[in-house]
Amino acid sequence: MGAALAVETLKLRKATAARVAAVAVVVVAPAMSAGFLAAARSDIDGPLAAKIAPMLQGTGWTGLMGFVGQILSIGMLLAVGVVVSWSFGREFTDGTFGSLFALPTPRRDVATAKIVVLVHWGLDVAMAAVVLTLVLGMATGLGLPDTAAWSGAGKALVIAVLSVLLTIPLAWFASVFRGYLPAIAALLGTIMVTQVVTIAGAGAWFPYSAPGMWSGMGGLELAETVTPVQLLLAVPVAVVGAAATVWWWDRAEVV
Amino acid sequence: MTATPALALLRADGVAKRFGDEPAVAGINLDLVAGEIHALVGLNGAGKTTLMRLLLGMVRPDAGRVTLRTDGAPVEVAHVPPPAWRAVGHLVETPFTYAELTVTETVRSAARLHGMTADDAKTAAEQVIDELALRHWASRRTCTLSLGNRQRVGLACALVHHPDVLVLDEPTNALDPAGVLLVRRRLLEAAAGGAAVLVSSHHLDEMARIADRITVLHRGQVIGSLPPGGTDLERLFFEMVYAAEGVTDEEVLAGVTSDRATRDRATETEVH
Repeated sequence: MGAALAVETLKLRKATAARVAAVAVVVVAPAMSAGFLAAARSDIDGPLAAKIAPMLQGTGWTGLMGFVGQILSIGMLLAVGVVVSWSFGREFTDGTFGSLFALPTPRRDVATAKIVVLVHWGLDVAMAAVVLTLVLGMATGLGLPDTAAWSGAGKALVIAVLSVLLTIPLAWFASVFRGYLPAIAALLGTIMVTQVVTIAGAGAWFPYSAPGMWSGMGGLELAETVTPVQLLLAVPVAVVGAAATVWWWDRAEVV
Repeated sequence: MTATPALALLRADGVAKRFGDEPAVAGINLDLVAGEIHALVGLNGAGKTTLMRLLLGMVRPDAGRVTLRTDGAPVEVAHVPPPAWRAVGHLVETPFTYAELTVTETVRSAARLHGMTADDAKTAAEQVIDELALRHWASRRTCTLSLGNRQRVGLACALVHHPDVLVLDEPTNALDPAGVLLVRRRLLEAAAGGAAVLVSSHHLDEMARIADRITVLHRGQVIGSLPPGGTDLERLFFEMVYAAEGVTDEEVLAGVTSDRATRDRATETEVH
């Protein structure tokens, strides 16, 4: 497993897709959140403040961390989802899957290493985005982080982690359909289904809806109805997705 | 006193594989013996690549069995313990190259996946990069390399851990003459060092120079063997293929003449 982890870490560290996705989340999410909040504060009665108002859960640190939590709920799903799809699917589109046969490193270890490295990378990206949000909050005049800031940061981090876990089944899609585009299509389809399920009122029991609802995307009242059990459904989704992917890699043939 | 037959390191017994209605490999027996270069020749679609995939466990046979000798005993490839695959190196179709990695990183990664420690992988990668004349490109990303140099990187990845069994599908594809010479020398060295080598190629003269055995495949079956070091292998090869197809040289020649006449008539029509 050590060799597979080392190789997959190197591949992800050097990958343009992972770099672009990381920058998109780490820079864009905090910058948008701090920027919108600062704009809303400086333009209290203006049109921009009126547009942003429905997305804000409060003022100061509460508003900033709530806003970044909402962006991370969808941003992490998209960014990490694309990288998970690429990491698994590229072995088929690049034709390297066959090179992973007849090795002392079993393919199940390669698949497991990919998942471990991707989840670790996702957590690093989430942590960096939250830390940068705290820094930008201080830079835009919110002062030192208070209890509300730390509480909001923790919630944003949990939302981001849940979103990372929810991307793991895409590894199975990319493997079974032997390419990253089918997995990216599945990702986009999941986001559309999430919208429909949420509108239909069954949102929080759909694992892909729960983090976004809890972040306040549907309003504060709806966010308060989301239970820990509903949020933690992301864990079995990730476990089943990972197990199915590793099982498939262990038995797949070259076509 | 009779000589003890050499033990096969990798062996196919009556192995068969179909893709839909199409038999890709139809009951082939083949063995790879230590210290020997075994060449597979055949037309496109003859079943060379499928046979190699079967030998490496990339596809499962519909019938027959493939065994790898590990710890002195043959074990069916589906049940070979992972560490035993350390004895095998292969390059079948796409080279082990990732666009984002440099040549050095790629070869080291292959060495790690072949069971070498990080330190050993570093040393072995440097050595094989020099052996295959890749030093100039060692720090370049593989996506910037020519097709021929990517093929050399793929070969470096197959050779880096000094395997006992080498399976190479058309290894000289896209290589320049200097690259072909390098590969030829490296394969002869590997066999001289006791490795069993299976190599496929369309270049009969190339195989005649290096192979100890040349097996001819056609439509998924072994239809004969060619004498290594022999002359006029191309004629012998086509005689076997025509015999397998049930046509004679005269009929083939008549077909070629007919094709040529048709082409000439078409050209005349265009001119006039």
